[in-house]
Amino acid sequence: MAGTMVLTEDEALDLVAFLVTAARTQVDEAAEYGPLRLLMAAGRLAEFIAERVTPETRAFLMGALKQMPELAVRTSDPAGYVAALDTMCRAVGEHLVTHFGLDRKAP
Amino acid sequence: MTNPVLEAIRTRRIARALTAEPIARVDFEEVLKAARWAPSAGNRRLHHFIAIQDPLTLKLLRMVTPGMFQRPVAIVVICIDRAKAMSFGMRPNAKGLYVDVGTAAQTMLLAAYSLGLGSGVVTSFSQAAVSAVLNLPDGLSPEMFVCLGHAAPTQPPGMPTRGHVTWQSLTQWERFPKSPENAPPGPPASAVATSSRP
Repeated sequence: MAGTMVLTEDEALDLVAFLVTAARTQVDEAAEYGPLRLLMAAGRLAEFIAERVTPETRAFLMGALKQMPELAVRTSDPAGYVAALDTMCRAVGEHLVTHFGLDRKAP
Repeated sequence: MTNPVLEAIRTRRIARALTAEPIARVDFEEVLKAARWAPSAGNRRLHHFIAIQDPLTLKLLRMVTPGMFQRPVAIVVICIDRAKAMSFGMRPNAKGLYVDVGTAAQTMLLAAYSLGLGSGVVTSFSQAAVSAVLNLPDGLSPEMFVCLGHAAPTQPPGMPTRGHVTWQSLTQWERFPKSPENAPPGPPASAVATSSRP
């Protein structure tokens, strides 16, 4: 699956537009929306590519990456929010290790 | 106490998931007609409503609106007519201009709800990008979207509550007491949200 195109031009433009305009809106928004917007972008990207990636990556995108509620923000539970982000980041790291074969590489 | 208006005010909710079912033109127009009767500072009517139903325009607006979770089948873009405001000698940031955006939006939300439509407001968009997409003339600034459609049966969880909110916690009767120990109870400062519209 390496090198497979998983994003169409329309989908990529959608994501570029989201990221650029989010950079602008974030100037005026509550700071706690920063992580929320980044996770929204990750979620959109995940939805776009889910059907074209490996089953393992699809499972990661639809599983670990979806654990955070869409509207979760830090102020409602600062410690829990950070812990949930760390859990997601750990899952990202673990999936990268598996996907790129780092765990199968000879020492 | 209850009556149909109070009941609608209490039970209306923001719809963050909408179905692809179109809304009837007649319903869309009723929402716009209702906005005409929204309170307006000095009855100056310094706002302009852009009504959108074209699918491609909706798609492009969503692309430049990070705060839009739903996929609306119709949008009303509430704009401030800045040229008209200037003609009344109003400053660009006069609060009445923004208050009236809110009164128009709330009126549309309630009208939509009364018609069985789902709705939600969004302010997290790039004004520059929206102006380009809609080819807005100089002097019109887009300030808020009212997204319309049919609410999906399952809605994503809303923004979590920050502290327990009641009408009493939002209200101070008469003057504030002088001594700090007599200050009214309220949510801690850290629990007060600066914005509730993602």
